[in-house]
Amino acid sequence: MSATMTTNPLRVGLRQERVIAPQCLVIFGASGDLTHRKLIPALFELFLQRRLPSEFAVLGCARRPWSDEEFRSKMAEALGDKVTDNQQAWDQFSAGMFYEPVDLQKNEDVVRLGSRLDTIDRLRATRNNRTFYLSVSPNYYGSGCRALADAGLLRDPERSRVVIEKPFGRDYSSAQALNKVVQSCGQENQIFRIDHYLGKETVQNIMVLRFANTIFEPIWNRNYISSVQITAAETVGVEERAGYYESSGALRDMVQNHLTQMLAITAMETPGRFDPEAIRSEKAKVLQAARLADELEPWNCCIRGQYGPGGSQSAPLKGYREEPGVDPNSTTETYVAMKLFIDNWRWQGVPFYVRTGKRLAKRLSEVVLTFREAPVHLFDAAGGSPTANQLILRIQPDEGAEFRFEVKSPGSGMRSRPVEMEFSYDESFGEPSDEGYVRLLADAMLSDPTLFTRSDEVEAAWRLYTPLLELIEDSPWRLPIHPYESRTWGPAAADSMLARDGLLWRRP
Amino acid sequence: MSPQLTLQTPLELPPTEVPGYLEQLWTKDQPSSQGAHTFCLLVWQPAWVEQQLVRTGRLNGPITGVQREEVITAARQMVIDGDLPLSMSPLTSSVSDAISNLPGEHQSEDLRGQHIDAAVSALRPRRLITLAPSLDGNHPLETLVAAYCPLPEEGGGTAACGDVVVLRGGHDALTQGLSILHPLLPEDLPSWVWWNGSLDEAPELLKQLTIRPRRLILDSAMGNPTHCLNLLSDRIAGGQSVNDLNWLRLRSWRETLAMVFDPPQRRNALGHVVQLDIDVETEHLVQGLLLAAWIADRLNWTLSSRQSDTDGSITALFKRADSEPVKLRVAPVSMGQPSIHPGQIVGLRLICQPEGLPAACVILCAESGGCMRLEAGGMANMELIEEVVPVQHSPVEADVARLLEGGHDTTNPLLAAAAPLAAKLIQ
Repeated sequence: MSATMTTNPLRVGLRQERVIAPQCLVIFGASGDLTHRKLIPALFELFLQRRLPSEFAVLGCARRPWSDEEFRSKMAEALGDKVTDNQQAWDQFSAGMFYEPVDLQKNEDVVRLGSRLDTIDRLRATRNNRTFYLSVSPNYYGSGCRALADAGLLRDPERSRVVIEKPFGRDYSSAQALNKVVQSCGQENQIFRIDHYLGKETVQNIMVLRFANTIFEPIWNRNYISSVQITAAETVGVEERAGYYESSGALRDMVQNHLTQMLAITAMETPGRFDPEAIRSEKAKVLQAARLADELEPWNCCIRGQYGPGGSQSAPLKGYREEPGVDPNSTTETYVAMKLFIDNWRWQGVPFYVRTGKRLAKRLSEVVLTFREAPVHLFDAAGGSPTANQLILRIQPDEGAEFRFEVKSPGSGMRSRPVEMEFSYDESFGEPSDEGYVRLLADAMLSDPTLFTRSDEVEAAWRLYTPLLELIEDSPWRLPIHPYESRTWGPAAADSMLARDGLLWRRP
Repeated sequence: MSPQLTLQTPLELPPTEVPGYLEQLWTKDQPSSQGAHTFCLLVWQPAWVEQQLVRTGRLNGPITGVQREEVITAARQMVIDGDLPLSMSPLTSSVSDAISNLPGEHQSEDLRGQHIDAAVSALRPRRLITLAPSLDGNHPLETLVAAYCPLPEEGGGTAACGDVVVLRGGHDALTQGLSILHPLLPEDLPSWVWWNGSLDEAPELLKQLTIRPRRLILDSAMGNPTHCLNLLSDRIAGGQSVNDLNWLRLRSWRETLAMVFDPPQRRNALGHVVQLDIDVETEHLVQGLLLAAWIADRLNWTLSSRQSDTDGSITALFKRADSEPVKLRVAPVSMGQPSIHPGQIVGLRLICQPEGLPAACVILCAESGGCMRLEAGGMANMELIEEVVPVQHSPVEADVARLLEGGHDTTNPLLAAAAPLAAKLIQ
């Protein structure tokens, strides 16, 4: 036994999650990045955890004319050490992996897909139970669903479901149109709009923290909370995604989905019961009550930025406009900061500051709730004035939470200073948390939609940012792009926006 | 618990005609009659206690084999009326043996194999075959067949259908009837065998029914403890997928114990365990031994010696990875209102003695039991950690459905590691 146990040996293999029913997971876009970077690793992790039944199959579909064996070997190559460390398990898992060249736009391909699925059902006893994962270009979400429905593959609402990746639409009207198409192909409970942020333990923990502890919920409102900051910062640049990113930008890529979901879970009302529809209804309601701080003049409450060159002489970093595939005159934002309000009894008047950006100083996602200051300052504070209490929910990395509060500084006199109380997932539990896709794939295959966005949520999220999107479309000069140096905390204009409210962005 | 499977009136056929009849029913060239491509479940369903209770008029029929509350209540009453030890679990062979001595010739409809729990029928099994032995050992073989297609309003969106086959009769008749079973279990579908009876009874039938690659569901709480553990470890060693309901019922104990050592500051204590005591209901020590074996396996202990004591307990000495000794005692305790599953754990005490630190004592006790016995013994100067383990209330059919729903063709590695060690402890 080693001197320090990093994991709890009694915890190994004890997961008591629901076991996924026999089924075939069909991945469209199987030759793409997401499949080998996220989906197959997540499925293999589920297999290693014995959460996949023996009657399970993966059918990869894409246009490339791969064979089953090519698909297996390409995935094994991508998983690298994970496969070599678990060769026997991989051999068992990959025996259930198949590939079928399919172009969803071609009717004959979809018919062939149907008969291949029947063959796999017989071979692997997957009980006609199917999950279709659309990891394809967003342009094909609607037509892909339609092709599946036309082939009768979505006919059984209990035994077929479709997972759709982000982005779901480009704006409010396109999201509405896509929802119409998708809902005409199947029932809402068959549609799983994925947002991988919801797969993170800490995002889910916000609900547990709020609704399982009596100490938080009574103060989780405008009477005690003065402001909320939600940050999703990345250190990486646009990397290989210039083609997509040029047409989306930070607002569509991050804010409308991930940050808005964090906002919804942080601000939602208590659901009547822990039930997918009850939770999703509360999230939709709070998004419907959210608005930009200044809808008439959105430029007062939103800052857009774009990273410029940076780094050091030895390791210089390119600016966004110098990245391969990016227009040298691009006005796509890589940073967005904005101020929102939620017009309901709980949050009236409490500003929610949301920011995200690429090439920022640190990679982190967090929600910071700043509490109101004590009404009377009885003590001198070491830092001049007492620091307001803060509850910091760390989404990534180092998932956990911390609470900052004032204590007495040691020594004579009564000076206060802030200290932190910490909770870390990895330290407190005997094993590390699963990757978000592990949780979400499992939930989709279990037909549990709790952590997936419902049509009204998606539409409410798009509607929230419509004034900004229209402004960027019609009068982009009103929302100018502020350049910022790579690996800094974004443009100074974003700091000024908070400074006007007498606040600062948290510098973690 | 409400049986859900809607059945046509079962058709009684001569045994030899059953395979042909079913083959004709699911002929592949008739697209409208498509058999569900799911799994087959073969159930050994003796329901001895229920049959005896009905025969003696202590319970109203029909006989269903489903573990319903009325059966348990009547069996508990029988324990009292029959002057049996109050600590006797009510659904055991001892209780049915006691009732068998009582007079009574009440008759009732026998619906075993036709009443299927909703949790199982929701999985749309392709074929459910029930072997229903009769009290009358000379009862001739009866074979009943019924087909079933879910209606659209029952979620039958696709034409996936199943069938039910019941083989009813005395022991000899059932043994003869086994010849029709093989063609009834399609090779392209996973087959499960649920031995819903004591592991001691009908050994030849057990052997013939549970051949590989059929997946075995059994309950190591039913039958002679040594035989149960030997059977469990032999089958696992033979590469069969074995699912033990007694092991499943341990999950809250394993989870609670793991939870105690989740905080990093407590984890190192696991390397310094010096003593483990487990109390179980009655003399059926299997569950306690499985738990002890799981802990020993996870903490890399090796068995040095073991002995059976006159009070029915088992003591053993393990060697930790650092060669220090660990004492184990699994002891039976009497309970006034025992569980329906013999030998359920009622308490666990784990004492750790880290070097240079005060000893720590972890006590887990069942919601239904209490910890007083384990709390005794001079632990005043130890750091005491106590937790109450929730009692699992899920009916046996729900546990079986859980296994069928996400089935594996291999045994859970934790059980595979624990069972042989538990078998060594009981030898």
